[in-house]
Formats: sequence, C-alpha cells, structure tokens
Amino acid sequence: MKRLDTDILVIGGGATGTGIAWDAALRGFKVILVEKRDLTHGTTGRYHGLLHSGGRYVVKDPGSAVECITENRILRKTHAHCIEDTSGFFVVTPEDEGEYPDLFKAACEKCGVPCAEIPVAEALRREPLLNQRISRVFEVPDGAADSFLSTHATAQAAQRVGAQTLVYHEVIALLLEGGDGNRRVAGAQVRNVTTGEEMAIHASMTVNATGAWAGQLAKMAGIRVDVIPGKGTLVAMNHRVVNTVINRCKKPADGDIIVPIHTVAVIGTTDERVTNPEDLRIEPWEVYLMLSEGEKLVPSISKARVVRTWAGVRPLYQEHYSGSSRDATRAFTLLRHNNRDGVQSFLTMTGGKWTTFRLMAEKAVDAACEQIGVRQPCVTAETVVPGIEQGHYWLGHRLHEVEDLKLQGELVCECELVTRTMVENAVRRNPLVTLDDLRRDVRLGMGPCQGGFCTYRACGILHELGSKQQADARPPLQVSARDATWEVAYLQSPAHNNGAAAAAPSPLSNQAITVEDANLLLRDFLQERWKGLTPILWAQQLKQERLDELIYLSLLNADHLPDGDRQGPLSTFWRFDTTPNEKTERDHA
Amino acid sequence: MLDLLVIGAGLAGLQAAITAAQAGARVRLIAKGLSATHWAAGTVDVLGYAPAAEGAAPALVQRPLDAIAGVPAPHPYSLLGREGVASALDSFVALTHELGVPYEGSANGGNLLLPSPVGAPRPAFLAPRAQRGGDLSRPEPMLIVGFQGMRDFYPELIAANLNKQGFAARAAFLPLSLLNSQHDRNSVQLAHGLDNPRVTAKLAAELKRLLKPGERIGLPAILGLANHLGVLDDLRTQTGAVIFEIPTLPPSVPGIRLHAALRKHVEALGVRVEIGMEGIGFHAEGDAEGDAGNIQWVETSTSARPLKHRAAKYLLATGGILGGGFNSNHLGRVWEVIFDLPLTVPQQRHQWFQSQFLDPQGHPVFRGGVAVNGDWQPLKGDGTPVYRNLWAAGGLLAGGDYIQERSLEGVAIASGRAAATRLLQAA
Repeated sequence: MKRLDTDILVIGGGATGTGIAWDAALRGFKVILVEKRDLTHGTTGRYHGLLHSGGRYVVKDPGSAVECITENRILRKTHAHCIEDTSGFFVVTPEDEGEYPDLFKAACEKCGVPCAEIPVAEALRREPLLNQRISRVFEVPDGAADSFLSTHATAQAAQRVGAQTLVYHEVIALLLEGGDGNRRVAGAQVRNVTTGEEMAIHASMTVNATGAWAGQLAKMAGIRVDVIPGKGTLVAMNHRVVNTVINRCKKPADGDIIVPIHTVAVIGTTDERVTNPEDLRIEPWEVYLMLSEGEKLVPSISKARVVRTWAGVRPLYQEHYSGSSRDATRAFTLLRHNNRDGVQSFLTMTGGKWTTFRLMAEKAVDAACEQIGVRQPCVTAETVVPGIEQGHYWLGHRLHEVEDLKLQGELVCECELVTRTMVENAVRRNPLVTLDDLRRDVRLGMGPCQGGFCTYRACGILHELGSKQQADARPPLQVSARDATWEVAYLQSPAHNNGAAAAAPSPLSNQAITVEDANLLLRDFLQERWKGLTPILWAQQLKQERLDELIYLSLLNADHLPDGDRQGPLSTFWRFDTTPNEKTERDHA
Repeated sequence: MLDLLVIGAGLAGLQAAITAAQAGARVRLIAKGLSATHWAAGTVDVLGYAPAAEGAAPALVQRPLDAIAGVPAPHPYSLLGREGVASALDSFVALTHELGVPYEGSANGGNLLLPSPVGAPRPAFLAPRAQRGGDLSRPEPMLIVGFQGMRDFYPELIAANLNKQGFAARAAFLPLSLLNSQHDRNSVQLAHGLDNPRVTAKLAAELKRLLKPGERIGLPAILGLANHLGVLDDLRTQTGAVIFEIPTLPPSVPGIRLHAALRKHVEALGVRVEIGMEGIGFHAEGDAEGDAGNIQWVETSTSARPLKHRAAKYLLATGGILGGGFNSNHLGRVWEVIFDLPLTVPQQRHQWFQSQFLDPQGHPVFRGGVAVNGDWQPLKGDGTPVYRNLWAAGGLLAGGDYIQERSLEGVAIASGRAAATRLLQAA
C-alpha cells in the first residue's frame, strides 16, 4: 500500500477543513487534506449563503453573535471576491411585534453588531417587494457568500503554501497505535473512490473536520461524539426578489430569512432532526412552509417560480444535549480527544457556521500546535486568498464581461452565463469526476432550466477535450487530485479566464474521456438535477422539465445511450429518493 | 360568423385547420405561442418504443403502423386504428411534397433509425428529406462535420457513440466563421446564413476537402431555411456525396421549416392565424338544467385589450404540460387552462413522479390528459361531452406519454385530422 507522511492530516473538505489546511500550512506545517467527495459537497455547499452579521444570534446566543461580527469583518478583507456586500434588514412584520425588536436592538449594541434603525419608507424604497405592512426595520452588515468559491479559494491558498488536497478520497480506517489508556491516532487509511486504490497517510496530528459526519469518524477511533444532524431545507426562487438579506426580527424559526445569492433568492430554512447526515430527503411540507413563511416577508413570493430545493445537514454539537436541534447552540466546539477521551494526536472541530470557519480553523490549529509542541502564531486573519484583487462580488460581473468581450456565442449555460472557456478551465484546473463538480466550480446547470441545455453541451465539450488526447489505451475517467492545480480564483469569471487558459497544466493531459464516460456523466447529472426538482415541480418549472424530457428523450434519445451498464463511482451518492411521499403529503395537506 | 375556431398552432391545430378549411369551413386559428414544433427534432415520430413492462427496458417498435392495433384505450391510437393513422400520415406526406418540405419514410414502412445529436439511434417514422440520408441502415460510413464554436452540436460525441454501436462514423470540424461572423450564433441564424449560395459554395468546397471516397456527410440541421432544398441540392451536387442533417438543440430549424410551410398553407386556404393570443376565459350557455351547453365565445388577452372570439365550433389543441394547455400548482392540482376540462392526471403530487429521471415507465403526471369519446369530444366523468360544440386533439389528449413513447407528431397529425373530420360531420 502506498504511504504518505505529513504533519497534519485534515479530514473533511468543507469550509472548516480547508480553513484548517490553509491555517496549518501557513504556520509551516506539512498538510494533507482528504475529502471523500468534491470540496463543499457536504454541508458547506448546501447552505443559504449568508455572511452573518451576528444579528441572528444577538438575543439567544451572544457568544456566537460576537464571533460572527468579528469574522464578518475579517472575511470581507481575506475573501472579498467571495462575498457580495448586500447588507441586511431585520424587519418587524405584523406578527413579530412585541418586545423582541427592542431586545434585538439592545443586544446588537451589547454584542458590537452595527445596527441602525432606518425608516420603513427607506427600506421599502430599497426593497419595493417587501411586505408593506412592516413596522420597523434594522439594518445590519449581513452579506451573501459563495461557499463554493470561497472554499476553493481557501484550498488554493493552502495549496500555494504547500498543502496537498485529495478529493474523492474516503477514510476507511484511522491508524491507531498503542493500547488502552495510551492510544494514539497516527493518521488514516484512505481509499480513492474513483479507482479503489488505497493508501496510508501517517500524520503527527489528525483533525476531524467532517462536520455532520464527525461522530461517524470519531467512532473509528473508539470515541463517542454525538453530533445532532439538523436538516435544513432551502428553496431557491428564480429571481432575486430582494437584493438585501431579509431577516424576520424575531427568535430564529423556520423560513424566516431570504438571501439574495448570485442570480436567485433563497428562502431558508427548516431545522429537522434526522438520524443520518445523508438523509437529505425533502418533504413537500417543508417547501410549502418555506413559501408560506416567505410570504410574510415578500408577499406573493410563493407565486414566483421555484427553481430548486435542496437540504443540508448542520453539524450541531452540544455535549450531553438531547433537545430539539433548533435550540442547540450554533457555536463551534473543539474536542481535544487527549483530555476528553485519552486518545492522543486527534482533534475534532465541529458545529459553528460558514461565517466562523476561519476562527474555527485558528482554534483547531492552535490546539494542534500546543499538542505537537510548537509555537506558531495564526496569520489567516491578515492573509488574503487568491482572487482578492477582484474586489467584492457584484451580480453584473459575468454579464459585463460577456458583453464587453462579445462572448455571447461562447455561452454553454445561458442561464448562468457560463462560457466554454470557463468550462474548459475548470476541467483543466480542478479534479472532476462528475458534472456536479463542474456545477460547483462555475454554476453550470443552476439556472431555471436546471441543466436542460448545458448538460448536453458540457458532455460534448468534456468528450472533445478528452478525446483530443491520442491515448492508445484509455483508462476510465479519473483525475488524480494530486495532479490538479486548484487554480480557481478566476473560474467564476468569463474574462480573466481568456488569457490564462493556455498556460494551465491539464490533469486531463494523460488520460481521455471515453464516450461511455461522457454518457455516464450526462445520465448522472440529469439524475442529480432531477433529485432537487421533484419536490418543486409544478407550474412553469414542470413545463420546463417537460421540455428537458423532450430534449433528452425525444431529441437525444439519451435513455438509449451505450454506457456499458456502468455505475459512476459516485452515482450512488444521489440515489436517495426525493419523490413526494404520500403520508407526509396527507399529514400536511 | 366563423364555423370553427382552432386554439393552438402546433401540428394538431394546423392539421385540423387545414382539414376543415379544405372542406370549405370558415376557420380561424389562434395561439398563445408558436408551438412546440419549434423545439422538436422535426421528424414525425409515430411510435418509437412500446410501453415497457415493469422493470423492463422499453422495446424498440420496428413497424409502428402494425403496432397501432395493440395500443390499448384510452390512447388516441386506439380511437384512430391503424387505418386512421395510416391515412392521416399518407395525406401528410402528400401535403409536404406539395409544400416543398418533403417528408419520407423507410421503404418497408418501418421505423427509420436516425443519428441523434448525441449519437444515439432515434426511431422516427417520417423524416424530412435532409434527415432521411442519416438512415443508419445505409451502408456508407459517415463523416460528421461540426463547426468549432457552435455550442449546440458535438460531432466527436456523435461519431464516438455511433461507432460504439457499430455504425461507422468519424468526426471533423470546420471553423464557424465560414458561415457567420456574428458574436451570437444560434442554429436559426446559421440557417439563414446558408440560404446564401455563396456561403453554401464555401461550405461545399471545405466539405469536399474533408471527404473520403464512399462517405456520406452529416451536418447540423442548419442547411438553409427559405432555400433549404436548394442548399441541400447544391451541397450534394458540389460534393458528390449524400448530405444529411442531424437535428440540434432547440430552436429546431427542421421544426421551424415544417411549421412555416404548414402555416403558410393554412393561410393560403383563407384561415386567419393570430399568434400571441392567450386564452383567458370563455362563456357557455345551456338550453336546460344539466345540459352540456354550447360555448359562445372564447376570450383572449393581448397587449392591447381582451378579445372575444365567436364561432359555431371550437377545437382545442393547446398541448398538455409541454404545450402550455395545462397548468399546475403546488397542491397537486393540474388543470386545463381555457375550459378547465376534466383531466385524468393524478391529482396528488406523490403520484406524479418516478425517482429516476430516465425511468423507462415515464412519469405518471405526463400520462394524463383530456379524455375524449369516439367523436373527439372532451368528456365529463359520466361519459357525456362537456360542451356540445367542443372538440380536442393533440398532446393534451389522455392515454399516453407521447414523449416517452416517441409518438408526439403521429398523435398530433392523426388526431388533428380526425377531430376536424368529425366536427365537420356534426350538426
């Protein structure tokens, strides 16, 4: 078995894990990060995209609120291009009157969250679709964050200082040394899920950053960690009905926030305790609840078109907690397993939220330093990640570049303005196993047609790129993550990609995509999109889906493509059933 | 006073309007949009795959007309019978030849297998002349030519998939600037460009350079709009090879050619065609309690003002979920948008979908529609007509999933013609 050696092994490729890898690499450690799927495939890529001001927690969880506002200020400097400065309103609807608004205002002041009460008329001028019956509005520095881009940019920053990122590498066992009372985690045995190849990664310190999966990983070391998986369902509307983050000014509850993110507005969220972090089934009542609660903020929002729904699972952690997940703390928790469980060289960092990922990384690496016995200060708060010179994200940037450079004919995805060059660069620069990975890199397939046109085009382009290589023996589609460059800072940008493309090394350079691979990519991406559509298919989106059927069945005959009866190594990841369920439909009718 | 108001400009509506106008009726055709013909491959699919048994892959239908007899009620084919479908298609073929958009079938009356834009063999009963050359039973190896920078056509993928399935094909590229220098180039703009003989000649010269002896040439379906047959002939003569079109992603140039030809014909027959008319209401009067009633007028919205359209008889051909004839909501209700006709769609959302997008059974929500009697009149639950002067045809009819079974155009043409014939006979 292949063996790698490192100082710090980070398990989990979400915001927390990449943040830890970045921080540790900056402090001079040799770092390897492993992620069993694509970066951000778990909870990080499934949230509403809110950069918290802290306002949401000032009353209930002041500690979290203080962390949020501090990190908010830092991330606006270190990850500016991943953040849209939307600002945020806390609005008092007719249902939210009472003492909470005054409590809120006072609590903001106490926690240091800038909060200005603005005239209702001004709020309505800025957000004309807002409920006209709101009585008070507080403005706070909320923002919208692109968790895909920020995680990739962080991973790229980590890579630049020597960290190694292995995606599609699953931990199958922890390497344990010593007997009872003197046990030590010495790394992990991992399996490349696309090739089946296994290797042992030996590490001085292993950090569990697997979020909602933290309990499952800790169990491999014989340690009990009770994570409360709190499932949150989110609903994306096809327009940005608001350009400011809109919160209900009340105790956090289901469906009380609308976040404008990129081209859509996301209503969030539910909080359902589930037994398994992979239990992402969405019940129709959750969608209806989001829409009816959304109505209280933006009347008639439920008549707009829903393009997508998805669920993420919060990694909530509270020692000895057994209540409901809504009441569990949003604070993060660092478990030092040497003190807690007598297991050396193993840390778990869980809980928290995207906004505090940098701080979580800092605390985790501080603990690692302490245990390894080195003193290295954290510098992430003063270190920017690649792409920062683009400044804050602004919605019009793609359209501007497409028009400025006359790239209209290059568009592969008209909904999200993805050009062919962007697709090619993403393929050349990032490990790519499924089209869903490409979606996270460039937003392919995220618009109203949900892959109707671009799935075919992306497969055609990938196949062209792959088949240009004159390989005699063509291995199956696989990209070694170690060959990838993670040059993602500009992947979101049609313009910047133009010049940089030619020089980029290509992970595809020594392998080819067979036609069966292309067929499999097509089939799996259609299925992945379908999964998030069935709970919201009615009205215009149902008609859209019928057009997609016309394209893929009648025109392309895609259900009769030769795929050698193959299963994608990842096909099973999205085989869970999201079709509406009779019982829940009846119960919530 | 009009004899007939046809609602819907798809193949069913146009075929019905032509049938009625040819018989001397005064007909008007109104539609909200230009119809789904603009999105489809441009072939006439009659029956590509037989409904699959549970868990089985749908079986390719070799001879669709022979299979008609086995299609169970309430499928429109069970009302039409083999003869009804065959005669409608015969007259459709004759009409297309007369109109200069000739459709042709296989010599033995079976399904053609034609290369799809991803290189899968797609079954079609009739094909426009240009697609006919792609017949996969022909022996000549295929040279699939694409244009570098054309986003809706991938020749290497097509050739590789065809090869994988035993059909000899290779891919080649030409620069898109050969055809067009605009920044945004969809298939319709490219087709317009090729109507120019100078552009066609440039393309022919390049194709000749790529061609190996014995090959036929497959191109994206952009070979001209107004002068399509001329372009096809020019390329054939100048290259000496069989030239064929492979349909592209929407918008569909072959679909637009067919729609345009039929629309021009129906207008020549004296039918006024008004597009941009969305049905928003209607009025019916009955003679007595419990009487089915007569539709008096249909109201449409336009940008200017609502209009009332009065006729003695009405034919609804607005399509189902795809065509826009049906709408639906989150509570699981699906309704027909103009007359709120009873539908056979499952009215509970948990019954609408299978868990796999490409499930061979298709999704139940797309299977339902308007149930009709043998006279093509929409029915109430008790089996009597909803209105005495209303008929229906095309994709909104109950009984099948016409995309899943690849019968969209066959159902539209045959039911459009049959419904018009019946309504003309009615008092």
